[in-house]
Amino acid sequence: MLWYHVSLVLLVIASTILQQFSPAFEGLHEARILVVPLVFLCAAVTVNVGPMLLLAFVCGFLWDTQHILSHHETNQKMLQVYVDSQADVRFGYSIILYAMMGFIMQGIQPLFREGKWHVSALLSGVAIFLYLFVEYMFITFIRGELILTRALFLKISFTSLLTMFLCPPVFWVLFRLADLFHHTIDYEGLKTDRRGFVD
Amino acid sequence: MKPLNLFALLLFLWGVIWVLTLSERSVRKIQQAYYGTTAPFLKGGSALKLKAERFLDEVENSKDTENRLKSIEVEFVKLRSIEGRLRELERENNEFRAALDFKKRSSLNVIAARVIKRQPSTWWETAILDRGEESGIGLQIPIIAPGGLAGKIDTVSSDTSTMILLTDERCQVSVQVAGTPEVGILHGLRGHYGEEPRLLLRHLSREAAIRPGMKVVTTGKGGVFPENILVGTVKAYTPGTLEGSASVEPSVDFANLKVVFVIANKEEG
Repeated sequence: MLWYHVSLVLLVIASTILQQFSPAFEGLHEARILVVPLVFLCAAVTVNVGPMLLLAFVCGFLWDTQHILSHHETNQKMLQVYVDSQADVRFGYSIILYAMMGFIMQGIQPLFREGKWHVSALLSGVAIFLYLFVEYMFITFIRGELILTRALFLKISFTSLLTMFLCPPVFWVLFRLADLFHHTIDYEGLKTDRRGFVD
Repeated sequence: MKPLNLFALLLFLWGVIWVLTLSERSVRKIQQAYYGTTAPFLKGGSALKLKAERFLDEVENSKDTENRLKSIEVEFVKLRSIEGRLRELERENNEFRAALDFKKRSSLNVIAARVIKRQPSTWWETAILDRGEESGIGLQIPIIAPGGLAGKIDTVSSDTSTMILLTDERCQVSVQVAGTPEVGILHGLRGHYGEEPRLLLRHLSREAAIRPGMKVVTTGKGGVFPENILVGTVKAYTPGTLEGSASVEPSVDFANLKVVFVIANKEEG
C-alpha cells in the first residue's frame, strides 16, 4: 500500500514536468489543461486524509515554486516612482487551496468506492473551477481593484472543462497503479453510517 | 476524527506555516534549484518540439510535392525535400539577421537569449529563457525584443532565467507619452484573456492631450528600465475625475516572441 502512495508522489512530479508542455488554447480564452491539479484531484479520492494532505503539500509546493513571482528588493529611487503596491500572493498559498480541493474530493469517496468514478470526474471539474476562482480572488484581494470580466469566467470554465475531460485516463492510470501495488480504497469517514456498504 | 488523521492534519498545518513564513531569499533559492533541475527537461522538450515542427513541415512539403508531381522521379522529390530544408534554414537565417541587425542598432550592451517556452501559468505572464547566471544575467534586468521593451528578469538559475512579460500586471514601467509632458505607470491588464494584449497606462492628467497613435516610451525613472525605449502605441485615452488612463498596444509581438535581448549593462552606450 505504501508503494501506491510513493507512486502517487512520483506521478505528481511527472505531471509537473508534463504541465510544462501543456499549451494554452488561444481560441478558448487561453484556457489550458491543468495536469497537476487533475492528477491531485483524481488521486485525492483514492487515498485517506493523511496521504491526501501529503499530496496537497507536494503539489502546492511545486505549483508555487513554478508560478509565484519573486518579491524583489526595492530602493528609495524605485519607491518614489512606483507608488502602486507591488504585493502579490505569498509562496505556499496553493498548498491550502490544494488541501481544500482534496477535502472536497474526499467528500464523495463513498460514491467512488461504489464504482461511480464519473461522479468524481464531474466533481473534479467543479473543484478546478472553484480553485481557479478562489486563486483569482486571492490575487485580487492582495493587488486590489476587483476586475470580473466575461473573458475571465470563460477562461476558468474552459480550463475546468478541458481538465475534467482528461479525468478518465488519469483514473485509468490510478486503477492500474492500485492493482499493481495491491491498494484498496479504504474509506473511513462515513463508513458506519452507510447501510449496505460493501466492505 | 481518527488520531492518525488529526496527527496528519497537525503535521500539514505545521508544514504550511513553515512554507508561508519562508524568507524571500529562501523562496528564491528554492526556485533557483527547481529551475536548475527542470532546465534539462525544458531544453530537451523545446528542442524536441522544434524537431517535431520541422518534421511536420517536411512531411507537409513532401505530401504537396507528391500530389502535384507524381510522375517526377524520386531524385526530384529528394531535391524538393532539400529545398524545403534550405527554405527553413533561410527563414531562420533571416530571423537571426533581423535579430543581429536589431542588436547592432541598439545602443545598449545586450545578451541575446532564446525563449524556450511560455510558462504554463493561469494568471501570470512569464517565459523561460535559455540564458542564466553563467551568461551574466541578474535579477530585475530589463529585456528588449524587436519592437521595444518586452519585460524584465524575475528569477535566475545557472543556465536559464524567467522573465515577466510586459503584459503581466506585476511588470510596472515608468513611461512617457512621446511629445507630451504626460508621464505615468504602465502595466498589463488583469482579467482580459484571449484578446489582443493591451497595457494600461495610469496616473495621467485628468484631461491630457493624448490622441490614439501616440508613441509611449520609457522615462528611465526608478532605475529599472533605461530611458527612451519604445513600449507601445496609445489606442484610447480615458479622462477621469482624479486622473486619466490610456489603453496602450504593445510594440512587441508577444505571440511570436522567440528571441529577446537582455540588457547586460545599462551604462554602456
